[in-house]
Parts: sequence; structure tokens; C-alpha cells
Amino acid sequence: MPASRFTQTGNYRTRYRQDQTIFATYAEQLSLIVLIGLLLLLPLILPKTMLRDVNMIMIYAVAVIGLNITTGYTGLINIGQAAFMGVGAYATALAATRWNLPFFLAIPVGGLAGALVGTFVGLPSLRLKYLYLAVATLAFQIIFEWGVGHTPLLAQGGAISLPQVQVFGVKATFFNHNFVWYYLILPVLVVMGLLWRNVLRTKHGRSLIAVRDNDRAAAAMGINPGTAKITAFMIGSFYAGIAGGLFAYFQKAVVIEDYGLHISIQLLAMAIVGGLGSLPGSFLGPLFIVALDRIVGGTSNWIGSQNLFPAGVDAATALRPLSFGLAIVLFLMFEPRGLANWWRLSRLYFKKWPYKF
Amino acid sequence: MKKTLLLSALVSISFAAAQKTVTLPWSGAITGPTSDAGASYAAGVEDYCKYANAQKMLPGITLNCVTRDDQYNNANTQRNFEDFVGNLNAPVFLGYATGGALQLKSVIQETKIPTLTASYHIGIIDAPDNTYTFLPVSSYSENIVALLEYIAKKERGAKVALIVNPSPFGRDPVVDARKAATRLGLKITDVQEVGGNNLDNTALLKRLEAQGAKYIINQNTAGPVANILKDAKRLNLLGKMQFMGAHYTGGEDLTKLAGDAAKDFIWATSYYLYDEANQPGIQLVKKIGAQFKRGADTIRSVHYTSGMLASAIAIEAMKRAGNNPDAAGVYKGLISMNGSRSFDPGFAVGPVTFSAKDHIGAESLRLLQADATGNFKAITGAQRSAMFQLVHPMK
Repeated sequence: MPASRFTQTGNYRTRYRQDQTIFATYAEQLSLIVLIGLLLLLPLILPKTMLRDVNMIMIYAVAVIGLNITTGYTGLINIGQAAFMGVGAYATALAATRWNLPFFLAIPVGGLAGALVGTFVGLPSLRLKYLYLAVATLAFQIIFEWGVGHTPLLAQGGAISLPQVQVFGVKATFFNHNFVWYYLILPVLVVMGLLWRNVLRTKHGRSLIAVRDNDRAAAAMGINPGTAKITAFMIGSFYAGIAGGLFAYFQKAVVIEDYGLHISIQLLAMAIVGGLGSLPGSFLGPLFIVALDRIVGGTSNWIGSQNLFPAGVDAATALRPLSFGLAIVLFLMFEPRGLANWWRLSRLYFKKWPYKF
Repeated sequence: MKKTLLLSALVSISFAAAQKTVTLPWSGAITGPTSDAGASYAAGVEDYCKYANAQKMLPGITLNCVTRDDQYNNANTQRNFEDFVGNLNAPVFLGYATGGALQLKSVIQETKIPTLTASYHIGIIDAPDNTYTFLPVSSYSENIVALLEYIAKKERGAKVALIVNPSPFGRDPVVDARKAATRLGLKITDVQEVGGNNLDNTALLKRLEAQGAKYIINQNTAGPVANILKDAKRLNLLGKMQFMGAHYTGGEDLTKLAGDAAKDFIWATSYYLYDEANQPGIQLVKKIGAQFKRGADTIRSVHYTSGMLASAIAIEAMKRAGNNPDAAGVYKGLISMNGSRSFDPGFAVGPVTFSAKDHIGAESLRLLQADATGNFKAITGAQRSAMFQLVHPMK
């Protein structure tokens, strides 16, 4: 515990209990409260279409926290996170339309379905590592898409519409949809973020990191790597399932195209760009990729309208995957710790400011 | 003199004030997957809209022609829809992809915004939430059932295989096709899914050959079909098997990609083609294309014509709505297009007819066959599939 609970000038922790606190200082606590306060005011300032992007960022952030749990914190490469999202989305849709559950119960059903399937898909991780495990998760992504596409109950991948949501007497209509959903997604994101931050402080969270760093050493310390890996898949898929349920309601209907391989790769890119094994990175990655998509989309439109290239050369179409791929490569080369590292450095700078040392 | 100037200034100001601006929006894939079709479609929508402005088709109204790229991403389509309807007050929505159209159905129902899409998936106008959604031309399902009818006339009891896209766009017509085949006395030997990454179709084609399938019907986009045709040519199957397909499989796109392997391909579509220079609609396509300096490839594309038809239908509905076209007026304008009030801009092989119950515009279609030069020539007149109405009665 620091000498002052307002500023931190060094690590003065002398007990494990102190080491397990979520916030080292009151300043950290206060900054989170201020941030949440500002986030609560955001919909009053932002235009509606931008609010939609913010909602998308928050939903992706929930899924990316989940991906970070399996890939970032436990080191299990997962190229099927969108499929877990899809499992959650379809389970939510069925719970809402077949069982007529309200949204606040249907979404957790999606999370549980994701966790259940994730646990099953995680079983190969007991035997497989690295690239081999990545291919196993990729296989699940393909099986998911094929399975949904051939299941009449799931409309063969066509649309399953979700009912309109009503919260405290306010019905989510077309005109207040983004507004209402902002205030529904934000608490979920905050709770899921805090939940993971808490899990990380427990022996279960620490065992995941130990398994990532060296599973043999972890086993020697009494950690069961198999249990840790399965737990990581279960929790990571639970997060994906919750994100899928939120996305299903937010999009108003579930369609298989929203949970394809390209989305899995996009989620992985978000985790890499944000910073693998970092909670702030799970928010910064989706923010960066969605913003990049908007900027490149606008630029593509402009290039397409200028007729700068000869007929047959579709440079505008190429720009989006090019910039997306380039961003990942550049981050991997020059900032493998992602935007979370920039966040860490900025915090360090302001901690010492105005002193240099 | 001063009085005259003042008067003319007042007249100009009052005229300008009387001009209303109404947004005609389109959201689709200008870049990304299927942008080969989407870019030409967008050009058609935009050019016809600008042409309508230039021709002053809507007295007192200037159209704000907006085409926006959604990159074939459903979330982007919704974002664009929200912007068009919520911010730009658009009284109509022109969409593109199947997934986006299906996902928007409940929102369209809620906002009561009449919608026309470039996807001719019958599920878009199936119940529920189908009051405000319209297909500009006959559906893929009807295309395929019409092809089955053609086969049944030629060879009763023939074996037919379906190759469909692995998506709702591809799968949807399969149920109707199976029902129709049973009624027509045809045997569907196989239904295979083939996406855009089909680099070698040898195994697929050998399998179909082993089953004795003589007719292969494709519900896909031109790219995968071109690869199948090229492989069929390599395997000397082109004479033994008759390849056919629904709207998005054929046309210029197919012949460009498949070359001479496209010869004899039979294609079902509701549109007139670029080479049918005697058709007034095609003359208009060429005129508008030249006016807005579009490239030859764009003007030749059937998707350019398709975009123009969607735009023309929306503008005609606005015209029928009167001085102040809102969503309710446009809807009434659309469902008034029947009987003597049907709308025929000349782009499709039949007039556009809508009513409260009929949500398919140009219902007629033709079958065309590619010749040695890759041009498609009509082998039937404009017709409706009689069987389709039996296997898929509209609610």
C-alpha cells in the first residue's frame, strides 16, 4: 500500500492482501468514477450514428475481453471467437422468441450457451498447443457456420428477429434505440470488466497467467494446466456469448453473416492492436479498429469516386483490407504490446508530471 | 428597371423556397464482397436519380441522391438506414444485400419506410414484417422454378442438381425448387454448396456426373459459377451437362470471367440487356450512362440497369405521392402501381406492378442463352412461372 492513498510513488505493499486490491490509490478509484460519469453523459453529446459506433465498440470490447482471457492471459490462440459470439446470439434469440424470456434473462442464457460450447471446444487444448490449437478453433468456426446454415430451427442462417426491449417503461424504438442500448450495454461492459479484473486477482486468474508463461513450471507449482485452460475457454466464451446476445438485440435480428470468420479475425486484430493480456487494451483495440474502419471507409468512397485508377483496378476495395492488415503488422513489429502500452506510458508520464524523475 | 429586377429576384427566391429537397438513399457494397455488382448498381441508382433531377420529373422537388457504401456489412447497412431515415428524413430506402435486408425487416415495419432491395430473396417479402418491403423484379426462387419448368418441358424425368451459395441468399430457393421438381416430375439428385473460394470443382463435377445429373442449376454469384464452367470445360462436361442459373449468376459478369466456357449457359433474369438496342429502356440506359460519363463496363452491366429500375420505381412512387412525398405517400404510390396504373420504365421485360398484397414488381422473366461470343440471347418470351405460384403462395 502506498504511503499516501492519493498518490503512488512506489510499491509499498507488504501484505498479499494489499497486493490484491483493485485500485492502488484513491486517485485511480476517482478517475474510474469520473470516467464512468463522463461515459454516462456521452449519449447527450454524440450524434446518433456515432452513438451506434460507440455501442458497437462496447459490444466488441466485451468479446475482446473474452478473447484476451483465452489468448492474452492464458496464451491459447483462438480464431473462433465470433463463432462463440454467434452461439450466444442464437441462444439469446431462441430464448427470447421460443421461451419468451425477457432480455435481461435471454442475454445471460446466451452467455451460458457460449460457456458450455466453449468448454467443449476447449477440450482439444488439453492436448493441442499453439498453431494446432488455433486450427482447432478455426475448425469450430467453420463447423458453427455450416451447422447454423443447415439448421431449420436457426432459420438456416437467415434472420431471427428479436422482440423490442422495454426498460423501466421505456420501449426501445427506432428513434431511441442507440440511446437505450447505450445505457444497457455500458453497465454490462463495466460489470464484465470489473469482474475480470477481480478474477485476475484470485488464484484462478493468476494460474491462467502462470500457464501462459510456462505450463510445465505452473504444473510444478501445483496448478493443473488442463483445468486452467478449460476454465479460460469457458470464461472467454461466456464473455463472447454475452457479447453475442447484446449484439443480437442491438442488431434487432440474428443473421449468420455477423458471426463469420472475418469477424473472428477482426476480434483477434482488436486484441492484438489493443494489447494482448491487457484489460485497457480490450477497450482500446475495438475503439481503434472501428475508428480505422470508419476513416478508411470514407477514404475508400472518396478514392472510388475520383476514378484515379484504370478500369478493372478496384483500389478502393483493396484499401480496407490493406489498411487493416497493415495496422496489425505495424503493431506487431513496432508495438507488440499494443495501445495498452501507450496508455501505460501516458499514465506513467502524468504520474510523475511535472517532475522528470 | 429596378422594379423588374426586384420582381424577378422575388420570383427566384419564392421559386427556390418552393423547391423541396427529398433524399433518395441507397446503401450497398460499393467496396468489399460483391462490389463488382454493387458498384454498377450504385451508379445506376445515382445516375437515374440525377437524371430525374435534370428532367424535373418531380415538380417542386429536388432529389438528394445519396449512395453510401456499406461494404456488405449488415451493421453498416443499419447505420446507413438510421442516418437516412432518422437524420435525412428519407421517405424510401433502397437496399442491397440479403442479410442486411432480412435484418432490417422489423425496423422497416416499425418505421413504415417502403424499401426496395437489390436482393431478390423471397424471404424478404415473406411474412411476418413484410408490409413495406418490395422486390423490384421476380425472386431467385421464381427464376429457379422457371428453369425447372423449362427442363421439364424438354425432358420429363430429367436429373437435376442444384449448386447454391453457402448463405441464406443461396439456400432459400432450395425448398421451393424441391417442391417444384416433385410436381414437375424431375429428380433433384444433389444440392451442393459452393462459395467464392472454389478453386477446383473437379470432385464436385465428377460427383454430379456419376449421379447422372444432366442439368445443373446455380443459385450463386457469377464468380463461383465461372469457375465451375471453366472446370466443366476442362473435364469435357459442357456438352453432357446443361448449366443454368438465377439472376446474379449470368450476364456480362459471367462471360467476362468464364470466357468461352460460358457458351450455352441458360440464364433467368427479368432485365433487358445492353445488346438489345431496340428496347427503349436500354436506349435510356445508354443515354444516361453517356450523360454522366460512366465507363463502358459500367453501362454494359445488367446491374447498372437494375440500379436504374430501383431508382425509377422509387421516384415514380414519389411522383404519385404528390407535392409532399413522405413514407406513407410513397407506400401508397407503390401499391397503386397495378392495372392501368402499372409502371413500365422499360428496364425490365414486364411492367412493374405492386399492390398491398403483391410485392413483386416486374414479375415476368425470360430465359436467355449465351452464344459463342458470350452474348446472351433470349430463348423464351417474357413469362411468369406458373409452378412457382403453386409452391410458394404469397400471403
